Amino acid sequence: MIGLEHYLMVAGALFVIGVFGLFLNRKNVIIMLMSLELILLAVNINLVSFSSFLGDLIGQVFTIFVLTVAAAEAAIGLAILVLFFRNRGTIDVEDVNMMKG
Amino acid sequence: MMVSVILFAPLVGAIIGGFGWRIIGEQGAQWLTTGLLFLALVLSWVVFLGFDGNAYTVEIGRWIVSGELDTSWSIRIDRLSATMLVVVTSVSALVHLYSFGYMAHDDNFGDLPYKARFFAYLSFFTFAMLALVTADNILQLFFGWEGVGLASYLLIGFYFRKPSANAAAIKAFVVNRVGDFSFGLGIYALFLMTGSLTFDNIFAAASTLGGEEMRFLWRDWNAAEVIGFLLFIGAMGKSAQIFLHTWLPDAMEGPTPVSALIHAATMVTAGVFLMVRMSPVLEFAPHAKMFVVFIGATTAFMAATIGLVQNDIKRVIAYSTCSQLGYMFVAAGSGVYGAAMFHLFTHAFFKALLFLGAGSVIVAMHHEQDMRNYGGLRKKLPVTFWTMLVGTLAITGVGIPFTQIGFAGFLSKDAVIEGAFAGGGAYAFWMLVIAAAMTSFYSWRLMFMTFWGRQRGDAHAHDHAKESPLSMTVPLVVLAVGAAVAGMIWYGDFFGDVARVAGFFGAALPDGESVLEAAHHVPGWVKVSPFVAMVVGLLLAVWMYLIHTDVPAKLVAAGRPFYLFLLNKWYFDELYDWLFVRGANWVGRVLWKRGDGSAIDGTVNGISMGIVPFFTRVNARAQSGFLFTYAFAMVLGFALFLAWITLSGGAN
Amino acid sequence: MFAADFRIILPEAILAIWAMGALIAAAWTVKDAATRALTWATAALMLALALWIGTGTGVDSAFDGSFVDDRFARFAKVAILLISASILLMGEGYMTRRALMRFEYPLLIALATVGMLVMVSSGDLIVLYMGVELQSLSLYVLAALRRDSPRSTEAGLKYFVLGAFGSGLLLYGASLAYGFAGTTLFSGIIEATADGVSLGLLFALVFMMAGFAYKVSAAPFHMWTPDVYEGAPTTVTAFFATAPKMAGMALFARVMFDAFGNVTGDWQQIVAFLSVFSMFLGAFGGIGQMDFKRLMAYSTIGHMGFALMGLTAGTGLGVQAMLVYMAIYVTMDLGAFAFIMSMERDGRPVTDIRSLNLYSRERPLVALAMLVLLFSLAGVPPTVGFFGKYYVLHAAYDGGFGWLAVLGVIASVISAFYYLRIVYFMYFGRETQPLDRVMSPAAWVFVVGCAAIMVFGVVNLFGVEPAAAGAAAALVN
Repeated sequence: MIGLEHYLMVAGALFVIGVFGLFLNRKNVIIMLMSLELILLAVNINLVSFSSFLGDLIGQVFTIFVLTVAAAEAAIGLAILVLFFRNRGTIDVEDVNMMKG
Repeated sequence: MMVSVILFAPLVGAIIGGFGWRIIGEQGAQWLTTGLLFLALVLSWVVFLGFDGNAYTVEIGRWIVSGELDTSWSIRIDRLSATMLVVVTSVSALVHLYSFGYMAHDDNFGDLPYKARFFAYLSFFTFAMLALVTADNILQLFFGWEGVGLASYLLIGFYFRKPSANAAAIKAFVVNRVGDFSFGLGIYALFLMTGSLTFDNIFAAASTLGGEEMRFLWRDWNAAEVIGFLLFIGAMGKSAQIFLHTWLPDAMEGPTPVSALIHAATMVTAGVFLMVRMSPVLEFAPHAKMFVVFIGATTAFMAATIGLVQNDIKRVIAYSTCSQLGYMFVAAGSGVYGAAMFHLFTHAFFKALLFLGAGSVIVAMHHEQDMRNYGGLRKKLPVTFWTMLVGTLAITGVGIPFTQIGFAGFLSKDAVIEGAFAGGGAYAFWMLVIAAAMTSFYSWRLMFMTFWGRQRGDAHAHDHAKESPLSMTVPLVVLAVGAAVAGMIWYGDFFGDVARVAGFFGAALPDGESVLEAAHHVPGWVKVSPFVAMVVGLLLAVWMYLIHTDVPAKLVAAGRPFYLFLLNKWYFDELYDWLFVRGANWVGRVLWKRGDGSAIDGTVNGISMGIVPFFTRVNARAQSGFLFTYAFAMVLGFALFLAWITLSGGAN
Repeated sequence: MFAADFRIILPEAILAIWAMGALIAAAWTVKDAATRALTWATAALMLALALWIGTGTGVDSAFDGSFVDDRFARFAKVAILLISASILLMGEGYMTRRALMRFEYPLLIALATVGMLVMVSSGDLIVLYMGVELQSLSLYVLAALRRDSPRSTEAGLKYFVLGAFGSGLLLYGASLAYGFAGTTLFSGIIEATADGVSLGLLFALVFMMAGFAYKVSAAPFHMWTPDVYEGAPTTVTAFFATAPKMAGMALFARVMFDAFGNVTGDWQQIVAFLSVFSMFLGAFGGIGQMDFKRLMAYSTIGHMGFALMGLTAGTGLGVQAMLVYMAIYVTMDLGAFAFIMSMERDGRPVTDIRSLNLYSRERPLVALAMLVLLFSLAGVPPTVGFFGKYYVLHAAYDGGFGWLAVLGVIASVISAFYYLRIVYFMYFGRETQPLDRVMSPAAWVFVVGCAAIMVFGVVNLFGVEPAAAGAAAALVN
C-alpha cells in the first residue's frame, strides 16, 4: 500500500535533487532554473498528497497558486537570463561573477 | 533681595572682569570687582547687624527636580550664614583692595596681562564661598564647596609659569578630591536616609537618623554616625586636617592675598562651617564627634610643632592656620559650636591680617620669603610692624585672665579651650594648651626674626625696603582693628550666657546648653592655662631670639633628628609620596606598559589588525560571486538549523 | 460578506488596480513619456493610502482570517508606503540622469509595494506566499532594470535564482506546515501547536525561517545582498535596502508570533543565531569595502542582525524595539542612499568612498548631514541610531539574552570603523577631483531631512515609539 510517507519521500527526494542541482551544477544557468522548478514541484507533490491525506481542498488550491506563480517566475527568470545573455554572450554559471567580494 | 545682591555681585564682577576686561581695561576690571565686593561687604554687615535670629530663605530658582529629589536654589539666612557673610565679604573686600598694591608689579608674567584675571578669580572665589555659606541644601553647599576648590586650584596655580605652583595646585586639587569623595558619599547617605537634601528636612529627621541603622561597607552602622564621619572626612580635606593637610603649606605658592583670603580666612574654614551647619545631625553622632575632637586636637598639636621650625614666613603662618583650624574642630566636636564659630570669626581677622602683613614684608623685601634673611624691619615698615604686632597679640591670645578684656584670639581661643575641657576630654584639652604655648612661640619667633635683631641676608634688599602703599596698609589697619576688638564685642553673643547664645544663633544650632554651661564653669586653672601657655611661649621666644640668639642653633645641633622630623613636616609628604604617589606611579606604569601596552593595545591591535581583517578576508573569499557558492551557503545555513532544532528543540 | 472582505483589502486593491491599469494604459499610449507623471501620481497615491491606513482603527480580518488588518499590519504598511513614496520622489533625479525613467519603474515599485502590504497583513500561508511572490517578482525585474548593463542584469539574475530558492524553502516549509497542522491559517497552526509541536512542524518552522532570513538578508542567507546592491540601479538598491526589509521583518515577526507563538523557545535560538551571525558578518564584511553600495549592503546585514535581536527577545518589548529599530534604520538608509544617488563625476555615477575625499569643503552642509547619518548608522550617541540600538539591546537583555546584547555591542563597535572611515574621507582625506554637483532638490531634502530626524528625533522619536508599542501589543498578547 502506498501511503502518505511515500509521497513525502518522493517530494523530499525531488527537493533535495533540486537543491543539489543549484549548487553542484557549474555549467548552465538554465539547469538552475530547472532545479528551481524541481523544488516547486516537490512542494506541489507535498501539498497535493497532504490535501488528499487530510481530505480537504486547501492544499490543492495552494498547488494551483504555486503552479501559477511558478509559471510567472519561470517567465521572469528566462527574461532576465535572455537579457544577461545579450550583455555577456554567455550563460555559464561560472561567468556570472562580475561582482564579488 | 539684598542677600541676592550680596551673592551675585561677586559673580557679576568675576564674569565682567574675567571676560570683559579687554573692553573695560585691566584697571576697570580691578575697580569693578573691588567696588562690587565692597557693595557686598556693606550689605553683609547690614544683614548681620540687622539679623534678629529668625532664619529665612530667599528662593532664587528651581534647580534639580527629579522624583524625590527636589533642590531649589535658595539663600538661607540664619546666624551662621550671616556670620560667614561678614567674614567672607570683609576679608574678600579688603584682599581685593590689598591686591591693588600687591599685584601691581609682577615679574612672573612679563608682558602678559594678569591683573584682571587675578581679580576675576578672587571674585569668583568669593561668589562660590558665598554660595557655600548661604546654601539652603547640602547639594548647593557642595556646589559652593567645589566652586571654592576650583578657585583655589586656579589661584594656587596662578603663577602658571612656575612648575612648583602648578604642582601645588594639582596637589591641592587631588588631596581635596579624597575628602570630596567622602563628602559625596555623605550626601548620598543623607539623601538615602532622609529622602531630602534640604537642611530643614535633614534637621527635622536628625533625631530619627540617630536611631536608624544603615549599611555601609561591610556592616550596619548608626546612620547619624556614618553621615557624621563621611561629612567630617570631607571637611578634613577642605580644612587641611591631619592626614589631608599636606596641600595647605604647598598652597602658599599662590600670591599672598590668595593665601590670606582662601587659605587662611575663608575657604579652609568651610570644613568647620560644614560641621557647625550639620550640628543638628552631629549631635546624634557621639562617636563621630569624638573623632572630630581627636583629629582636631592632633592637627592643632602637629601643625604647631612643625610651625616652630619653619623658616619661610608664609609657611609658618600656613601651619599656624592649620593648627587654628584644629582648634575650631575641637570646639565643634566638643559641642560648643558657638565657640567654633567664634574662633572662626576672630581667626579670619587676625590670620588674614598676619598674611597680608607678611605679604607687605615680602613685597618690601623683593619677594624674599625666608625669615633668616629678614631682621630689623621694625623701623622701615612701621605700619606693617604695628599691625602685625596686633595680629600676633591676637593669635597668641593676649588679654587679662578672668575678664573679657583682650585681643580677639584671647577670648575665642580661651572659649575653645574651655569648651574642650568641658566637652572634649583631657587629651584635647592638653593638646590645645600645649599647642597654645607653641603658637605663642612661633608667632613671636616670626615677629622677632622679622622685625627685631640685625639685618640679615641681602643688604641691597634691606636698603630698598620701604613701607607698602596705602592700598595695602589700609586693609592692614582695618583688620588690625578687627583683630583687636572683635573678640570683646561678640564674646557674649558667641560664647556668653546660654540664653544669650541661644538667642543669638536662634534655631541654627542645636541645644548645646549642657556643654556650654559646663564650659562656663570650668576650674580657674583651666581658664588661666592658655594664658600661662602663651606667656611661656613668649618668654621662650624672647629668650631664644632676642637675648641668647645662639640658643636655637645649639638646640638644633643637640636634637638634630627631632629638628629634621619637624622641619620635614613629620615626613608626611615623604610618606605619601612613598605610599600613594609611588604606588600610583607603579600601578600607572604597570597598567600602561602591561595593561595598556600589552593587554589592551595588544588585544585591540590583535583584533583590529589581525582578527578583524582575517574575518574580512574570509568573508571576501566566501563572497566569490558564484551563484553556487551562495546557494551552498544557504543550504549550509538551513542544514545547520535543521540539525540544531532536531537535536535540541525537537526533544521538547 | 464578500463586500465586507473587499472593503478591508481596499487599499491594496486600489494600489494594485492602479498599477495594472496604468501599466496597460501607458504601454498602449505614450509609454516612457508618462513616467514622470506616473512617478508623482504613484507617490501621491501611496501617501494618500498611508494616510488612509494610518488613520484606521480596530482589528479586522477578511476571507476567513487569511487577511488581517490590525495595528501591527497598519504600522508596517504605513512605513512601507512612506518608504516607497520616498524612493519614488528622491530617485527621480537619479533615474532621469541615468535615462532609466521607464514607465514600468514606478509601477513595478507599486506592485512590489502591494506585495509587501499583502505580506504584512497575511493570516494564511497562501496569502503569505502570494504576497512574497508578488514582491519578489517585481524586485527581480527592478534589479535588472538597466537592461543594457551587464552588472544590472547579473544582479537581476543572481537575485532571481537565489530569491526563487529562498521562496522555494519558504514554500516547502509552508507545505509541511499545512500537512502537519492540517490548515494553512496561522490561527490554525497556533492551535495545532498549543500542546507541543511535532517534528514535522519544527521542520516547517526551520524552512520558513530560512525563507524569511533570505528576504531580510540575514546571514548566512545574505550572500546575494552585496552583489545585488552593487549591480542594481542606486534607486532600486535604496528600495531593496528599505521597504522589503521592513516588510520581511514584519512578516517574520507575524509568522513567528501568530503561527508559532506557542513554540517561542524553539525559534528564539535560531533567530538569535541569525542575529549574531548577521551582526558580525555585517561588521567584518563592511570593513573591506571601498564601494559605497556594497558597504551599505553589509551595513544592511548588520542592521538586520540588530533588528532580529529585538525579535529574539520574544516579548512585546522586543517586537516594539524591532519596529522602532526598523523605522530608524530605513530613515537612515533613505538619507544615505539619497546621497549615494548624487555621487557622480564627469556625468558617471561613482560609488567608491575614496571619491568623497574632502567632500566637506565642497558642500559643508551635505557633508555634515552625512556625518550625522553615518554616526547614526554606527550608533554613536546622541543620535537616534544610538537609541535604536539601545532599544533592541535593552529588549534582548530584558528577554534573557544578555550574551546576545553583549555581542551586539562588540559588533557595533567593529562596524563603527567603516562608517567613521567615510567621515574621515569626507573631512580629512586627500585632495581629489571633486564630485559633480548634481544633487537634485528632492535628494537634498532627504539627505538633510533624514539627518535632521537623526538629531531631533532623540526628543521623542516623532511618536514612532507609542505606535510601535501599540503594534507590538497587537501581535504579542
